[in-house]
Amino acid sequence: MSDEAASSPAGAAPQSRPDLRADGVTAGYGGEPVIRGITLAAGAGQVVSLIGPNGSGKSTLLRSLVGQVRVMHGIVRLGATDLTNRPPEEIARSGIGYVPQVDDVFGPLTVRENLEMGGYLLPKAQIPAQVERVLTVFPRLSGMLARPASKLSGGERKMLAMARVMMLAPRVFLLDEPTANLAPAIATALLEEHVRGLAEHGAAVVVVEQRARAVLAISDRTYVLSGGEVRMSGPPADLLASPAFVDAFLGGYRSAPAAGEP
Amino acid sequence: MNSFYVINLTIYAAVDAMACLGLSQQFGVAGVTNFGYIIFQSAGAYAAAILSLPPDTANGGFQSYIGGWQLPFPLPWIGAAVAGGVVALPFTFLVGRRLRGDFAAVGLLVTAVLLNLLATNYRPALNGDAGLALVPAPLKGATGQFTTQPASYQWAFTAVAIALCAAVFVLLRRVTESPYGRSLRAMRDNDAVAESLGKNLLSLRTAMLVIGGAIAGLSGGVLVSYISTWSPAAWGYAETVVLFAAVIIGGSGNHVGALLGAILVPVGFEEVTRYIPTSNNLPPNLIPSLEWVAIGLLIVVFLWLWPRGILPERKRVIPLSGPVPGGEPATAPTALARAGSPRGRESGIILEARGLSCEFGGVRAVAEVSFAVRRGTLTGLIGPNGAGKSTLLAMLAGTLQATAGRVIYQGRDITGVAAFCRARMGLVRTFQLASEFRRLTVMENLLSAVPDNRGDSLQGALRGRRYWRADEQRARARAEAILDRFGMSGYASQYAGDLSGGQRRLVEIMRALMAGPAMLLLDEPMAGVHPNLARQIGNELVALCQEGMTVLMVEHELAIMDEFCDPVVVMADGSVLAEGTMRELRGRSEVLEAYLVG
Amino acid sequence: MTIFLASLGFGLVTASVLAIAAVGFTLQFAVTDVLNLAYGAVMIAGAFLAYVVNQAGLSVWIGLLAAMAACSLGSVLLNAGIYAPFQRRGASPITMVIVSLGMTLIIEFGVQALAGGVSVSYTMAQGPTLRAGGLVLTVVQLVVIGAGLALMGGVHWLLHRTRLGKAMRATAANASLARTCGIRTRHVITITWALTGAMCGLAGTVFGIDSGSFNATSTDLFLVLILAAVFLGGPGHPYGAMLGAAVIGVATEVSAAYIPADYKYVIAFIVLLAMLGVRPSGLLGARA
Repeated sequence: MSDEAASSPAGAAPQSRPDLRADGVTAGYGGEPVIRGITLAAGAGQVVSLIGPNGSGKSTLLRSLVGQVRVMHGIVRLGATDLTNRPPEEIARSGIGYVPQVDDVFGPLTVRENLEMGGYLLPKAQIPAQVERVLTVFPRLSGMLARPASKLSGGERKMLAMARVMMLAPRVFLLDEPTANLAPAIATALLEEHVRGLAEHGAAVVVVEQRARAVLAISDRTYVLSGGEVRMSGPPADLLASPAFVDAFLGGYRSAPAAGEP
Repeated sequence: MNSFYVINLTIYAAVDAMACLGLSQQFGVAGVTNFGYIIFQSAGAYAAAILSLPPDTANGGFQSYIGGWQLPFPLPWIGAAVAGGVVALPFTFLVGRRLRGDFAAVGLLVTAVLLNLLATNYRPALNGDAGLALVPAPLKGATGQFTTQPASYQWAFTAVAIALCAAVFVLLRRVTESPYGRSLRAMRDNDAVAESLGKNLLSLRTAMLVIGGAIAGLSGGVLVSYISTWSPAAWGYAETVVLFAAVIIGGSGNHVGALLGAILVPVGFEEVTRYIPTSNNLPPNLIPSLEWVAIGLLIVVFLWLWPRGILPERKRVIPLSGPVPGGEPATAPTALARAGSPRGRESGIILEARGLSCEFGGVRAVAEVSFAVRRGTLTGLIGPNGAGKSTLLAMLAGTLQATAGRVIYQGRDITGVAAFCRARMGLVRTFQLASEFRRLTVMENLLSAVPDNRGDSLQGALRGRRYWRADEQRARARAEAILDRFGMSGYASQYAGDLSGGQRRLVEIMRALMAGPAMLLLDEPMAGVHPNLARQIGNELVALCQEGMTVLMVEHELAIMDEFCDPVVVMADGSVLAEGTMRELRGRSEVLEAYLVG
Repeated sequence: MTIFLASLGFGLVTASVLAIAAVGFTLQFAVTDVLNLAYGAVMIAGAFLAYVVNQAGLSVWIGLLAAMAACSLGSVLLNAGIYAPFQRRGASPITMVIVSLGMTLIIEFGVQALAGGVSVSYTMAQGPTLRAGGLVLTVVQLVVIGAGLALMGGVHWLLHRTRLGKAMRATAANASLARTCGIRTRHVITITWALTGAMCGLAGTVFGIDSGSFNATSTDLFLVLILAAVFLGGPGHPYGAMLGAAVIGVATEVSAAYIPADYKYVIAFIVLLAMLGVRPSGLLGARA
């Protein structure tokens, strides 16, 4: 995994046309912006990670990309389509799949019904086949189709959340801390197999994570956010080698200005 | 227009005004939402009735009720107020709970309907559905009802009703404009925070319920002496809605607004319908029905157009008295009255956690944490997200109950001590999320935290401004000094809720300092604050620690730890990982790993 | 024993009326997070509409259909025109209670203004009385029970076997997540109010049939029964509402056989207050 990440030379352009792009996005709730001037890009087949201290705006950024938080300045684009401030239903229809950090499944609904909701936009006839397809990626879920989602363990819920999003085969996946509350071994497996796997099947993946080391290992490109702004960005190997990284990542608010490409 | 019409209108106005004032105090000022309010008025009316009526065998025995002691004026009215207050007591349990506002409202409304049902059906108590009749007017013995009295008596009664209403107004004004009133409003705006600043919520709410109940009861007593009857039909849930509507439309939290609402809604409305032309062709209850429709419309329209009412709560602008003569900021001496220790760093542990754990739903947020904070230090507490820092802070402050372990403060085991008591002992915390009192000005926010103001109790408030003026002046001087120190003097009269995020943080820190803490527990005080301001806050905290205060600060910005904190404690996964200066910790790989592993 | 069985029979009828009403009420809460206290007023408006149709010479069952249609439309307008705008503004739950009480006054007394204060009854045949194992019920009462059961079945089928119903449950569980699945939650909410509004009209007419005679304020106390059933089962849980309706309906009627009839509602009140005090999420709801 890390070989792949290290093989992209530092500073080179991304290897595929960016599918999802945020340009100078400033967003927030009500009066004040929580994130300012964020520019990032994620292309098909790439894993792009967002790391940084708590409160740095990572979740807010994802939420502004899916229409849940108002974008005050800047543009969000998927390919050539402008998606800035569109309603979440419409963004889903455009091919962006979002797994929130909490409340990521429909608790009272069964596993199968959760998947059916994931495939809500599909013609009714296609749904069973799609469910089968998704279950091949997460075979463990096959054994609990009739169980209410609230009765699943933490790891199983995360799997269900990801499976639900996969029902529509979106071009872009936005994952907010998919390994939160998971045991380290399961977390690593989730990231390496499933999250990396999504990119290998051609989607663009943007993943927010607290487990910086684990997610750096599977990323093509990483953005370090702090205080609502991008402090550093680049291929993981470059970041880890940079002396400014520790400060930026651990929240050195007053340390050197953003290094690397914005 | 004859004089009886004026008398009738005035008495109803006075009675409704009293009831609305009591409700405005409970709901608008103290934030106690009591949809069962009408019960108190009714209790008062029934009490006055049964105290002034002769035994139920009189008048041919056509009514049956308890009591009937034929007590002379003013005992029935006093009894009415007492009944209202006593009936209000059990409501403390219904109202203080952490129940959703609308669920609680439904519960209280239903309680009112239930009691109405019981009163209607259980005839021996209060004559059931028919209610009580022939209630004597004051000073007129067992047989004299109001309507049979001469004009002079009726005018005198009216004057007394107005006088009582005025007295209630003055009394409530006195309570609301005092430091005690400020504490009530703080509780209304954010009860958890008010508690963390030392306010005893239970005592405040109970006091408001009882006072509101007594006022409502008195209004009921006056009313029943006037109309000489009282039945369950007079206090259905529609009547409660009307009272609430009057307060909301007039302006909740503003006593003049309550008067206005009382005149507009229950009284004014009734009068307007008088002028609607009637004719024999119209069905008999068309007008009363339309009246209710119109009240419903008024409620919805007013709530939409003026959510705060016609006369919303006034902003209390406290004039600044200018720089303190002598020049020195006044924070240090009073603030440290309870730090109780000589200046400079000295050994001596002020706060200790022993084996503290917090477990809910099978998840251990904090596991067996033990560490000690030395007096006079600015100690930092850091760790990745989910390390348990805020949970630990909450347990130390008392806002969260530990599931195991002990907290020792100044040598005392305070593990079981309530949060508001800890605050009074000098252990004060701030909160991570927005916790300013939004509808109080910045100055009022600061003043609300002062612990030793004589005006901050019910008796103190009732004794009037002269009693607490000196303490208030002292508090203001301190507040002005702190505002000056942090450069916020220009914002003193702005509503705290209107400020920017960083400014609100500042207000919170200044407010915590006003509490004169011996030890401050700060939860991410610099979050969202401009770096220059954060540095200024840091410097102030360092200065205060040099003067003897102790600070334990949770923060994310490690550069802040570098600059201001020594020692720094690192938490990860619910336990303490390491302790030392930031320089030492940066060099330790397990600390970096903890952050990277997340 | 015969008294017990007779009152059990009444209890089943009341439970059926209550179930129809409570399920509608709780679904409105599930999907909008508002306690629609004007529900009782809409019910009685439906009952009166059915009466008007009945007086015009048509069967009360036609009136029932008219009531369902009108209350459906009315409820959609109530939510879209009143509740939703206030909620969008960030009104607190207390404000919403007062708004819904204001709407109750408008609707209930609007009906009273139009219809007068007198009690009315439907002109209808009660049908023969049937006896089975001690229970004594008229055909009409059996129809009411049947309607209740049919509706329960219909609601179950809707919520668990149709895409729309599952979308309703998803919206109630987590509206923002539903939107990220592409579900147009605003449409789902409108449809929910339309369906529950129809249930409200059905409940109102059936209430009128069961009560014999009614006036504009007859549903005031009935609303408390609805609240008791809803909170017993758990607000927002349709099966909880059904369970609650069964318990409350039977309990109130059976108790009337043993305590003075005027107090029969007291049981419902006490259940409601107990649930609010001890377990506001209800028997079937998640522990808070």
